[in-house]
Amino acid sequence: MPSTTDSVAIEAIDLTKRYGSETALDRISLSIPTGTVYGFLGPNGAGKTTTMRLLTGLSTPTSGEARISGTPVDDRRALVPHVGYLPETPPLYEEFSAREQLEYVADLRDIPTETAQSRIDSHLDRFELVDDAGKRISSYSKGMKQKTAFIQSVLHDPDVLFLDEPTSGLDPRAARTIRQSISEFADAGTTVFLSTHILPVVEEVADRVGVLFEGRLVAEGTPDELKARAETGAGGTLEDAFLAVTSDVDVAAGAAAEGEE
Amino acid sequence: MSLRQDFRHGGRIGRAEFVQSVRGYVRDTRRLIGLAVAVLFFGGNLLFLLPAIYVLGRSARSVTTIPYFEPAATLLPVGLFLLAALRTMERLGSVDTEDLLLTTVHPRAVVVGLITAEIGRLLLWFGIPLVAIAGAFAVGLGSPSLLLTAGIVVFPIVCCTAIWGYAVGIGGLRVLRRLPTVRRVLKVGGILALIGIVILSQVAARFLVTGTVSIEALLSLISFAPLIDYLALGFVGTPVSATATPMAAVVLVTWLGLTPVGLAVAERQATALWFTDDPVGTNTTDRSSEAAVSSGGFSPPQPFSWTKAGRIAWGYLLRAVRHPQEFSHLLMLVFLVGPMAGTFFQGSSGDQFSLLFAGVGVLFGVYLSGATFGLNPLGDDRPQLPLVLLTETTPQTFLRGRVLAGLAVGLPFGILVPLASIVVGTRPLYGITFATVGAGFSLLAALFALGLGCAYPIYEERELWGAETVAPSTLVLIAYSVVVMGGTVIGLGITWFGLTGNLVVTGILVGGLGVYLLPTVGLPILSYWYSQRRYRRYVLD
Repeated sequence: MPSTTDSVAIEAIDLTKRYGSETALDRISLSIPTGTVYGFLGPNGAGKTTTMRLLTGLSTPTSGEARISGTPVDDRRALVPHVGYLPETPPLYEEFSAREQLEYVADLRDIPTETAQSRIDSHLDRFELVDDAGKRISSYSKGMKQKTAFIQSVLHDPDVLFLDEPTSGLDPRAARTIRQSISEFADAGTTVFLSTHILPVVEEVADRVGVLFEGRLVAEGTPDELKARAETGAGGTLEDAFLAVTSDVDVAAGAAAEGEE
Repeated sequence: MSLRQDFRHGGRIGRAEFVQSVRGYVRDTRRLIGLAVAVLFFGGNLLFLLPAIYVLGRSARSVTTIPYFEPAATLLPVGLFLLAALRTMERLGSVDTEDLLLTTVHPRAVVVGLITAEIGRLLLWFGIPLVAIAGAFAVGLGSPSLLLTAGIVVFPIVCCTAIWGYAVGIGGLRVLRRLPTVRRVLKVGGILALIGIVILSQVAARFLVTGTVSIEALLSLISFAPLIDYLALGFVGTPVSATATPMAAVVLVTWLGLTPVGLAVAERQATALWFTDDPVGTNTTDRSSEAAVSSGGFSPPQPFSWTKAGRIAWGYLLRAVRHPQEFSHLLMLVFLVGPMAGTFFQGSSGDQFSLLFAGVGVLFGVYLSGATFGLNPLGDDRPQLPLVLLTETTPQTFLRGRVLAGLAVGLPFGILVPLASIVVGTRPLYGITFATVGAGFSLLAALFALGLGCAYPIYEERELWGAETVAPSTLVLIAYSVVVMGGTVIGLGITWFGLTGNLVVTGILVGGLGVYLLPTVGLPILSYWYSQRRYRRYVLD
């Protein structure tokens, strides 16, 4: 059960990241309440992974600041109990078995042995990895690796869970298990920051959605609000809305309007 | 697809592969620095060599009087053939874009492309110095045309040996694919053979220096007259030109005739390799990992289980044992131990033997303590850094884990070998002191390695001795080897003098010891502190 009592789980103020003359993120501000599933959308290269790295303290912003559960992200030691992070490339040791990997991580996270065993068994069972838990991760399929890494990221019951394409490469059954897990974690008070290109997943689980385009947050709101803003009509999907708000014309018009204000 | 089309495609593939290689050589500053160091080192040597070559050209009266010309005529094709075969087995058996190429062009084109690119790389690395040497000789001889004629004569040799070397190399890969046990034995045997060759080279060098064996006599054994006659054709039009023999023409026809035959063989071999599956039941690396099962969870044995750093150390050891390719960089040790072992086996007797035995054990242990897990910590951890940096475990604990893992490998040599040397004649006091010194130096080496490795991390996987691994930088390896080996040898020397009562306490001695101990202890501590700082502040930018 997440420990946070803060009402705002993720807070970012004017986060900017530049690589030389190139601006990867331009003054991103976020305020995500606890227990929210926040769908973070954007085309390739929009800056989603950079944002996640900044919010997990794995990268430093050029300017701006961020807090997770009230903890500044530059205080890595204080931050780590609050966050779980599943990057797009699962950080697994290929030479370990899944069980070895999870027990190893539980040790690194100072989870008491009995609690760790109970959680590991439960998650392995839920993700149908029990039979393969003793095999080396190097022999796993992409989906099995993804599931192992997902379990690893939630093993310590984080307050905020950052998921970068968590259902990528998963079969429908495993993808559904992850989606259900996300909802359950959110119901239990965990805030989930979900970056994915699979828009139906976002539509199904997200309470709020933010759309990043060329380093700027160009739209934010509930999926319904986003669809309404994009004027996709009653039959419109989040995909239609996404395509509408990330079209150059739309963004340029939005930027011009901001400039006039 | 026609032959002409295949050659055209092959040329394009060769050019692409070659350009890709060249861009790889100069991809970043680190590589450029490495290249600059190599150019400075070898270029300097070459500059000093060229005047001697020029004088040699001036004094040449006939082809046969040119030093080492006759054995070189035989060694050149043999060496090129072996080089091509080994390079093929090592890395030219496949191409990165194999799936694309094999579904786009005829395999013959791929073979032609790979061989063309390899010849290009060969010319890039060796062409400039060889042209410089040949040019200096030609100018000395007064016949600059030698450069052209020699090039024309050597070209068929290069083509033929490259193609046949490729064909034989691919054949070797096919055999090893069918006989995986032989492959594993060869991998271990190859390393042992390498050590043996290095040691033997030291022994042979000593025999040559002392005059026990004549190098001329040895080289005359490998001289092959038809090849000498053929290579002598390169001197046509120069003052030392000899009459062309029919045998030289036969050799030329042989080179020219064997080349297309070799290409056909290479194509058949490559097609068989690329378009057939591994035989069922062969145990490739991937399959062995598929079959591998761990019965329990992560349960380090004592004493590793006592502390978190120990448990992390056990994790490093366990993974390294399961993926021993991570140790590929330690083969550098072969080139350090080889010469020492050669000296050791030849020049020692009685007391010297046991003491040298103890000393070599300490050196070996100290080297391994740092080199095994410490020389590229950030690079090794890179794929897992999002995990490593976002756990409650501090970077210091991870680094201590690396130190402990290194010591677990190095200390058995650094301590047990000196103690074991007591059995073969070392005085107990000497053995115990050497073991104590070995333990201390091992710890210092492990700490020193971490900072050095963190200062210059390598993240990209590269092929090293046939294994894809994230190996430490060669510059880091060399710097570590020089500092650690040098420091340990000095330390052992001081210890030895101290034990034998040859150290008289004077101001100079105390001052000298201070000068030695300050960097010996200070540098590792500073290095460890730096590595902690790097980990604490590390970001994935």
